[in-house]
Amino acid sequence: MKMVIGGAYQGKLAYARNTWKDAGEFLDGALCGWEDLKDCAGISHFEAFIRRGLKDGLPVRSLPEYLKKENPDVIIVCREVGCGIVPMDAFEREYRETVGRVCTELAAMSEEVHRVLCGVGTVIKG
Amino acid sequence: MIHIVTGGSGSGKSAFAEEQIVKFSGDRRIYIATMYPFDVESRRRVERHRRMRAGKRFETVECYTHLENLEIPAGADVLLECMSNLTANEMYREDGAGDQTCGAVCRGISALAERAGNLVVVTNEVFSDGIVYDPETERYLEYLGKINQYLAQIADCVTEVVYGIPVCIKGMRR
Repeated sequence: MKMVIGGAYQGKLAYARNTWKDAGEFLDGALCGWEDLKDCAGISHFEAFIRRGLKDGLPVRSLPEYLKKENPDVIIVCREVGCGIVPMDAFEREYRETVGRVCTELAAMSEEVHRVLCGVGTVIKG
Repeated sequence: MIHIVTGGSGSGKSAFAEEQIVKFSGDRRIYIATMYPFDVESRRRVERHRRMRAGKRFETVECYTHLENLEIPAGADVLLECMSNLTANEMYREDGAGDQTCGAVCRGISALAERAGNLVVVTNEVFSDGIVYDPETERYLEYLGKINQYLAQIADCVTEVVYGIPVCIKGMRR
């Protein structure tokens, strides 16, 4: 498993495609379903996938376990959303914290974690 | 030694900070809790942190304001969590320091640093969501930003925790 993380619009997906050129297709987390995660090379907008799951009441906290079992070589591209003022809205708070907790578990499983800023990646693990 | 640990929401900064403090072999291990449990969610948070600390030999001390008056045993290993709560308490609680918050918090930290054997302070990255807030919240950001800069200045080590991964900002690279 590999992760590419960073703020919005930093070129994370392009960086991931460029770093693992033969990886294959990246799904859009804003659109794809749980079953699709089983055989994709990578997923981008993973934060959007978590957000949709939370809205639909799906067990998103089990995603690390699910991915480890079903697609252990997946490349996860995810926006960092936890570095702002804690929102007043309870759902927004839950969303940010859930992205953090899920990604912390995934990062522990990953052999590489890259953090992208201005399109430039720094390997923070691996 | 003074170690500042920062990170975003759900980043694993607390777990990392605890790991750092249990590495020290001092006789006393003090946890300074700053979050006032005012609703169900905050009580749940406190509970979660208590469970994380269980069995790690921490003595928990609550301190919501006036850190400089807090007495801790000399030479103890101290974990203070976290600056975002303490700053908000000082700014908004009736017994808080109000517009003198920065001075009060920084004095409290240096008093603590002088007395503690080792000090680990958890703070919070809340500065990068690009939202323009109301003046009151902007003031909070300004105060916490200033306090964080002071902390980093007196610290031997500053670490940003990113999804559980320590990224060295200042001090020894691991």
